[in-house]
Amino acid sequence: MKTTMKSYAILGLLLLTTFSGELSALSVTVNDVECVYEYVLYEGDTVSGNFVVVDHDIFWSSDHPGIDFIVSSPGGNVVQTMKGTSGEKFEFKAPRSGMYQFCFHNPYSTPETVSFYIHVGHIPNEHDLAKDEHLDPVNVKIAELREALESVTAEQKYLKARDARHRHTNESTHKRVIFYTIGEYILLAVASGLQVVYIRRLFSKSVAYNRV
Amino acid sequence: MAENARVLLPLLLLLMLVRVQNGESVWLNLPSSGTKCVSEELHNNVVVVGDYAVVSDDHEHLTPIISSKVTSPYGNVLHHKENVTHGQFAFTSSESGQYLTCFWADHPAEGVGLIVNIDWKIGVAAKDWESIARKEKIEGVELELRKLEGAVEAIHDNLLYLKNREAEMRGVSETTNSRVAWYSIVSLGICILASCAQVWYLTRFFQKKKLI
Repeated sequence: MKTTMKSYAILGLLLLTTFSGELSALSVTVNDVECVYEYVLYEGDTVSGNFVVVDHDIFWSSDHPGIDFIVSSPGGNVVQTMKGTSGEKFEFKAPRSGMYQFCFHNPYSTPETVSFYIHVGHIPNEHDLAKDEHLDPVNVKIAELREALESVTAEQKYLKARDARHRHTNESTHKRVIFYTIGEYILLAVASGLQVVYIRRLFSKSVAYNRV
Repeated sequence: MAENARVLLPLLLLLMLVRVQNGESVWLNLPSSGTKCVSEELHNNVVVVGDYAVVSDDHEHLTPIISSKVTSPYGNVLHHKENVTHGQFAFTSSESGQYLTCFWADHPAEGVGLIVNIDWKIGVAAKDWESIARKEKIEGVELELRKLEGAVEAIHDNLLYLKNREAEMRGVSETTNSRVAWYSIVSLGICILASCAQVWYLTRFFQKKKLI
């Protein structure tokens, strides 16, 4: 009785430790270089994630030049590079365990806000099953199911960040429509008033009579 | 004091390892002077649990101390701590908007920047599964399936949230669309009105001056 309770407890503990938790999508302001580190526990884990440049007030051009995204492994090798993008999803299999570095490079002087989400997913494989007799094959299926749900959640976070950026653009357009048209009306009225004033002055009595 | 550090450091590393196994944490570079902020846009009624610790791997020096502040979108300070090496906070969001978590080093004379380990969990990931497991006496596969069920519910809620946001944004877009059309017609009308007023005024002026 005691041994089954103990084995259940160990199984429960093992299951708890294999649960890869969820990290919510944090936003960070990138002035020049901003690096985020994430620890990958097992070799062969799938590291997936996405990032979106959220807050950029572009004035005249219609397309953002983008930022660069570089992932480095603990050994110093570059695992993935994305240049000049304003939002992208990424996924790769970690070649080794350790601390991975995810860097955002902003080549321009205006600071950008980047919303990112990184997820490290581990599915126990046959090697782990063989190593530990308490691990049930059903755990593999559960881990796969969990990873599938995590990918849906990651996609949702990506959509939420893109929706936030779209909303910024929409609100900026809305404000621009109001201010620029009212400014246009005022300028039009002032310009026609100035024209009339100028023509009046050209014909004023203080100047010679048919000078124009 | 040195003994204290020697006890604290392995404890800190153990805490970090437990955190890494139970949930994913992100390591951030803190500049030696200035503030580093991370933010997230949350809607209201979301449970947020955060945990931060300074990472240091040298045993001779004391762990550098930092200060942290969590502010709500309307400016209320939800958590403020000075001169600590680690801390945690938990709150339920009451306003929807940008929640800002800022860290700064207290003694900028450290020279080298520090690394802070941040563990930020919202919503379903912030649930304390261990206490739920203990309370309802479930363990093993059933606990894992419960977690998956929680994840699916969170996905559903996120979808509904995204749908509502999209509906709001669509409203703003349609308003902007109709306003652009209406304001352009009014602008044309004002232009014609201004030129008619000019012509009428100048005709009257020249007739008074007996030039016409």
